[in-house]
Amino acid sequence: MTTSAALRSTRFREAREKEWAELDAIVDRALSRGLSSLSDEQLERMPMLYRAVVSSLEVARKTTMDRALVAYLDALAARAYLAIYASRRAERGVLARFFAVTFPKRVRSMGAEVGLSTLIFFVGIAVSYILVMMDPSWYFAFVGADLAGERVPGATTETLRHALYERSTDDLDLFASFLFTHNAGIGLMAFALGFAAGIPTALLVFTNGLMLGAFLALYAQHGLLMNLLGWLLPHGIPEMLAIVLCGAAGFHVARAMLWPGERSTRDALVFAGRRASTVVTGCVLLFAIAGVIEGIFRQTVVDDFARGMLATLNVLWLVAWIVLSGLGVKDDLDEH
Amino acid sequence: MSTDPNATVANIAILGPEGTPLAFPLAGGVERIAAFMLDMMLLFFIMILAIFGLAFSFTLGSSVLTAIGLVAFFALRHGYFLFFETFLSGSTPGKRVLKLRVLARDGGRLRVEAIVARNLLRDLEFFVPLVVMTSPESLVGPAPWWLRLSAGIWTLVIGAMPLYTRERSRAGDLIAGTIVVGIPQAALIRDESTRSQRGLTFSREELAIYGEHELETLAELLRSVELGRASIEDLRLVALTIQKKIGFEGSEPTRTPDLFLRAFYSAQRADLERRLILGRRKSDKHDAKK
Repeated sequence: MTTSAALRSTRFREAREKEWAELDAIVDRALSRGLSSLSDEQLERMPMLYRAVVSSLEVARKTTMDRALVAYLDALAARAYLAIYASRRAERGVLARFFAVTFPKRVRSMGAEVGLSTLIFFVGIAVSYILVMMDPSWYFAFVGADLAGERVPGATTETLRHALYERSTDDLDLFASFLFTHNAGIGLMAFALGFAAGIPTALLVFTNGLMLGAFLALYAQHGLLMNLLGWLLPHGIPEMLAIVLCGAAGFHVARAMLWPGERSTRDALVFAGRRASTVVTGCVLLFAIAGVIEGIFRQTVVDDFARGMLATLNVLWLVAWIVLSGLGVKDDLDEH
Repeated sequence: MSTDPNATVANIAILGPEGTPLAFPLAGGVERIAAFMLDMMLLFFIMILAIFGLAFSFTLGSSVLTAIGLVAFFALRHGYFLFFETFLSGSTPGKRVLKLRVLARDGGRLRVEAIVARNLLRDLEFFVPLVVMTSPESLVGPAPWWLRLSAGIWTLVIGAMPLYTRERSRAGDLIAGTIVVGIPQAALIRDESTRSQRGLTFSREELAIYGEHELETLAELLRSVELGRASIEDLRLVALTIQKKIGFEGSEPTRTPDLFLRAFYSAQRADLERRLILGRRKSDKHDAKK
């Protein structure tokens, strides 16, 4: 056996070294200054060079004893992967697709969780409604004093009615943005708490129901239930829907964690997490809509008919959107 | 070698779309905390700037200002990480400084919904345990002690997940299928076989003694001589040891240990590479497989 100055693995390396160095330089630039800093030619060559390096790596792993070379190719391929796959592909119409297809489809895909969340919400309403109807002192167990204001048991019918039809012009924008950030914060938390096995999510949805039920009972005792609904529903429809959906998203995650089914828990969690986070993102928009209606429309429009019309309109478009939109279009998450 | 199990940095293999496993150094806990702190400081700074910016916009009424401020605060708090991880290819300013990147665990492209998912849990992992530890009553209200205690433990268990999960995943990573890695550093070291000279020959029996481990040790020795970290005397010592072990006859190990070792390295590598191609690896000198 004779030694040769040029081993097969050395020739392999010499033949490709230039390509590797070229990719190295492009990737360095892409990683530190972003893809946009690359020239058109570099952008075009990067994926090709990347594939060449990956195949070089495969060959090197199987044929060379030069560990320094394998380590270099390992690192170079990994760096190039980061530059290529961790970056955002500029996609067109993502936003339109999100609202037209992805969001409604994913809401529909978690029907059982939406059902459970709705049930818990309505049980909350029913429990506090019944309790307050039987004994009004229960009211304070569900509604904090700061939130209640003048709307307390023992208030005159006139005071309660006034609260519904008071025309306020001050600081409406402030009120709207406060309501939006406050409610959206609750929604996001309801989802995140799904990770804690969903029990805190259920509690959050339930207490929101309790609060509403207590209000309903208070006004019902004064014969103002319909008036309250007119005041409540225009913004309440998108807001309650968003709370219920955020709760459902939390339950979806909790379900994947507790009953992963055929997948491993880890995979089930990822699948559910990505789905649920889409739903929560859409809910932020619902909260924003509710905030604007609640903070501005509700305080300026005091006509029962107009309020009823808007509530009806909200029900119609929300139901149409979530039930019908994106039917027959494939969700790209299902391919995985 | 980056896949060496003895390496100080834990490595993680991601199966790229080409079907080739790629090795990434797992981001260290200290680096991740440092990156998070940097981001929080920057976020805080931006918020203060925003407050000043709004305060100086005298043309608007004060309620409008507060309204914009509230929404801006919400957007910053929930959108900071989301924005940067989406537009800075899986990193934030803090992660950039620490050279960290977020990757999709499945090797595919990092999707926006994964970024949303991993960042929606940040509040639960960081702020909630913080509040539970400092003022539990503001979160759970006047709750009985056992409820507070269990809520406290529960949130700590979730918040501390990176400390005890295998890939240092926080809850957000688990839900989004993401992993935080360091950017591998690549430098091509010269091939030690290119500097060997013709002349010395070794028999198959002589080359059958050592394996891959010894070959790599020898390569490292040759490199450290060039860097001035080993002397010609060290080389002579090693050359004589090898001579004795393989029963090499000749005066080269004593006279020109560097040339001898380079020649031996090349010959040994050629032999091991031939075996590798035939599927007969020899990991070290104790490996008796032919």
